[in-house]
Amino acid sequence: MVAVDIIFAPIFLSALVYFLTRGAEHLTKYVALAWFIVLFIISLNWLNQIMHPESYAFPPEIINYIKATGFLPLGEYLRVPAFGFSLTLQIDALSVAMLILTAALLILVVFTSWEEKNQAAYFSLLILFSGPIFGVFMTTNVLWFFMFWELTLVPMLFLVGYWGAEGVEVKKVFNIEIKLPSRVYAALKFFLYTHVFAMFMFVGFFLLFKQTGYWDFTLIKEAAIVTPALIWWLMFLGFAAKLPLFPFHTWLPDAHVQAPSSISVLLAGVLLKMGAYGLIRFIIELMPVTTARFAMWMVVLGLITTLYAGFLAIYERHIKKMVAYSSISHMGLVVVAAATLSYDGLSAALYEMIGHALVISPLFLLAGWLHHKTHTWYMDEMGGIMKYAPYASAIFILAGMAALGLPGTMGFIGELTIIISAVKSFGWWIAIIAFAGMISAGYIIWSIRRVFHGEPSEVVKRSEFHMSFPEKFALAVYAFLIVYFGVNPQPIFDIANKAFSFFGGM
Amino acid sequence: MNNAVNVLLLAPFIGSALAYILGKMKKPLAFWVAEITGAILFLASVVIFLKYSDAPINFDLNWIHYGNITIPFGIYIDHLSIIMLLVATGLGFLDIHFAHDYMGEDPDQPRYYAKVLFFIGGMILLVVTKDLIGAFVGWEFMGLASYLLISYWYFKNSAANAGMQAFLYTRFGDIFILAAIALLMVFVGTTNLVELNHLADAGEINKTLALVVALFVFMGAIGKSGQFPLYPWLMNAMEGPTTVSALIHGATMVNSGIYIVARMFDFFAYTEALFVVANVAALSAFIGSTSALVQKEIKKILAYSTMSHLSIAFVGLGVGSLAAGILHLVNHAVFKALLFLAAGAVIYIAHHTKDAWKLGGLIKTAPWVAIFFAMGSLSLAGVPPFSGFFSKELVVASAWEWGNGFVKTFVTIAALLSIAYITRLWILIFLGEPRNEDIAGSVKKPSTLWMRLPLAILAFLTLALSLWQDDIIHYIVGDNFVEPHVEGLTVFMLTSMFIIFLIVVGLYLKGLNLLYKIASHHFVQTIHQILYNGYYVEAMITWISKNIIVNSIARAAKWFDTYVVDYIVNATVALALYTYKFFKLGHTGRIGSYMGQMVLGVAIIVVAILIIVKGL
Repeated sequence: MVAVDIIFAPIFLSALVYFLTRGAEHLTKYVALAWFIVLFIISLNWLNQIMHPESYAFPPEIINYIKATGFLPLGEYLRVPAFGFSLTLQIDALSVAMLILTAALLILVVFTSWEEKNQAAYFSLLILFSGPIFGVFMTTNVLWFFMFWELTLVPMLFLVGYWGAEGVEVKKVFNIEIKLPSRVYAALKFFLYTHVFAMFMFVGFFLLFKQTGYWDFTLIKEAAIVTPALIWWLMFLGFAAKLPLFPFHTWLPDAHVQAPSSISVLLAGVLLKMGAYGLIRFIIELMPVTTARFAMWMVVLGLITTLYAGFLAIYERHIKKMVAYSSISHMGLVVVAAATLSYDGLSAALYEMIGHALVISPLFLLAGWLHHKTHTWYMDEMGGIMKYAPYASAIFILAGMAALGLPGTMGFIGELTIIISAVKSFGWWIAIIAFAGMISAGYIIWSIRRVFHGEPSEVVKRSEFHMSFPEKFALAVYAFLIVYFGVNPQPIFDIANKAFSFFGGM
Repeated sequence: MNNAVNVLLLAPFIGSALAYILGKMKKPLAFWVAEITGAILFLASVVIFLKYSDAPINFDLNWIHYGNITIPFGIYIDHLSIIMLLVATGLGFLDIHFAHDYMGEDPDQPRYYAKVLFFIGGMILLVVTKDLIGAFVGWEFMGLASYLLISYWYFKNSAANAGMQAFLYTRFGDIFILAAIALLMVFVGTTNLVELNHLADAGEINKTLALVVALFVFMGAIGKSGQFPLYPWLMNAMEGPTTVSALIHGATMVNSGIYIVARMFDFFAYTEALFVVANVAALSAFIGSTSALVQKEIKKILAYSTMSHLSIAFVGLGVGSLAAGILHLVNHAVFKALLFLAAGAVIYIAHHTKDAWKLGGLIKTAPWVAIFFAMGSLSLAGVPPFSGFFSKELVVASAWEWGNGFVKTFVTIAALLSIAYITRLWILIFLGEPRNEDIAGSVKKPSTLWMRLPLAILAFLTLALSLWQDDIIHYIVGDNFVEPHVEGLTVFMLTSMFIIFLIVVGLYLKGLNLLYKIASHHFVQTIHQILYNGYYVEAMITWISKNIIVNSIARAAKWFDTYVVDYIVNATVALALYTYKFFKLGHTGRIGSYMGQMVLGVAIIVVAILIIVKGL
């Protein structure tokens, strides 16, 4: 199997699966599971090749290429010589970390959506989604990057818009009323938002081409031009909306609330990471000089995002929105870490990206599960659930502790390394981001108090709390990973150090 | 010896998991796993104590290596650590032993023992680590365990609230430690506590930086050790099981603030931070001892007295006497564990009645508990020959010798008042006639093995420790101990204490009517209210967090998000609609109009192209 098949095979596979499993829909998930496991193993293999190229039988020029650029070449496809344009696939430690994360989350998503309705379509869309998302992280051609970026939206649009929650949204702006089913409103908002901001990025890529004459990331980077501010801002806007950074974040709570919780996991764990990945790859790596000029903007925006979203989470009664704001808050920390433009800061950013994905996912899953069982979104209507669902409560508390940065979990390592790097790069004043840990303690502990502790409410007494085995299994895996990489974070930092070693000499 | 260290580091966590898993299979197993683990931990500490030679146990590991920064994780065990280890594991073992009966009827025991062992693990981690980062890990583990154990009976709203409050108050302090870690890592290059002391001794740290770091660390200590203004959580923490209060909120976790200041003592002494420590602690000692005078619940009286005595230990450190602070820490841990466990026995006997005014006359039904309680009380009050006398005396003398007027006055008042509140408590519980017939009629008998034995051991210890006071001082500070000399202090203290004792006995034993008369006075009632509510600090903090943080800042953020940010986003829909309507105006159906629009369009495009090509 060549690398390009991994990106395009899902298109055929999903269609095939969809039509072949007619009448035996429950089989679809096994196909999806098998495919994602294949992806996971392939990604692990790539990781090994990048970390230890000398133990593979590569030709010497490839080994030298890996050592010089950090990229493992996976071939060039679909050449269009007239434009000097092709689908160039090459991956480095950063992208392979994202690939492994994506594959792992996809596997776990299969378990957590074990009993989803309309399975054939659902899992076909998931398989379809796996193609472009791998493409995003694998290609270094900016146009293809953009295309994959946009293609990931299509399955997502349907997954949110069709499998999402019930309810009708009425918004009144000026004197025009927008009335749509909430999930459609959320899906469209998500789609249009990312799409519109992707256009800025698109224009940015074109201007970059106009400057350098290259479409390929490595070539543009070698050209090492000093990018004009306009290009920087255009591309920054594109990634900022995806991350999301204040003030481009309002699509996220809506999309998360309406999406089925497994899809929330993909939104938070993978789609937001596309934004962070793009930020690191196409802004920090590609235009270090211009970024240094605007780094203070990134810090301030990241800081505002962290604190602002934290306060929103404190005020929120809606459990899934609370988790969504918490997610935004943590992504703000990633931006602060990335803006340090230092070896250690970027390593910390990558660690926090992975940590955020693993920590926020169980919170989303449990928020959705609680809604499914109690039929209410509001935390003050719940209470005392620990008595009825000790397993779910224990996982929520563990993940919550990770979200507020308790030692022994991934959250702590992320927060600690980010604060140290930030203070190192920006001076003592940035130590106030430590207060993010206080704000997150506020909303997490308060939500545990309202949802799991206390006297059981009427709503809770009426509900029946049963969790299926696949769900329990997936949650246990998340819990294990949170603690394992919280106690022994070095494996992730090894990858991160490899990915950003080019910053070591700067 | 390294084996003992490994056991200390790993056994609590393994034991915690085992207690939960085995306990789920067969309930009594949870207790036995905990008991055995506790015994092993205590033995390991004793082994370290006995085998310890002159050099501290010291090894380093590199925990995280990211970018150019290395975050180390080191183990450092010296005399101070060994003392803390013995206190933590010894009291931990006795506490687990006591819980056999006290928690015997609880259906959820595996969870209880798992959390207690996890807590002991955190405490051990704190006292054996070398770096502030490692200490912070243990520190937060204890915070988590404390939170989970306070809200152990999570189905009670009061317990759930108390747990939340405890976590948030202590977390507020911990944030400052996190900031201090970052500052140290970047500007000093190490968080190694031993090395920081050396650097401070050599004067190689920027003084302002050192002051900021010291104050930040002290802020964490304020949260954890219940000092002003972050103390109200400690009183509400009494919602947890009494065995938890004894171990965590009386004897071990609350000492961690004192420990961390003692561990960084030279660093603190290098800056003006010790001055702040002494003054904050003196104020807290005063607040704690006065509030303890008027509380109703047994455990709240003990909680305020804990706060007051922790402050006394802090004053010892603050005025510059490391030995006085640590000595009082050790003595306090022993007698406070004794008092809390004895209070637990009382509560157990009286079917979970915690209000001291509802008890009375228990000396007839539980004479042994009364005697052990009295021994703990005498030690707390500072009556010779009990161990509390020596350390309290030492702290007060140090304060008189080196402290300023504020510290001197307040710590003396606090030291004197302890006899008042503890005598009052003892009289209310054990003397007089039973005030509540229901309780008096149906008391349970405490068992000898599980309840009286740990009490007897602790009561014996609180006496026996007084023989070793000089040894402990010598063990901690070596030969460079400067003993404060204040003429006539002991006589003054003992006489005043005796007078106070007589007044309290008179009032509560013979003069209850007089007491009621005094208490009904308007002015006294106001004072009473202020003291009873702990000087309204809790009300103030609650008001701030509720009205300022949640209902002002967070609400403003929510408003801004809904009516500004999201409104603009949604307005794009309206904008699109208006644009559509505007261009619809052009659909007139006349050729001329279309032609005109086309010309306009072409013109715009041409201008746009010109601008783009020329401009960029």
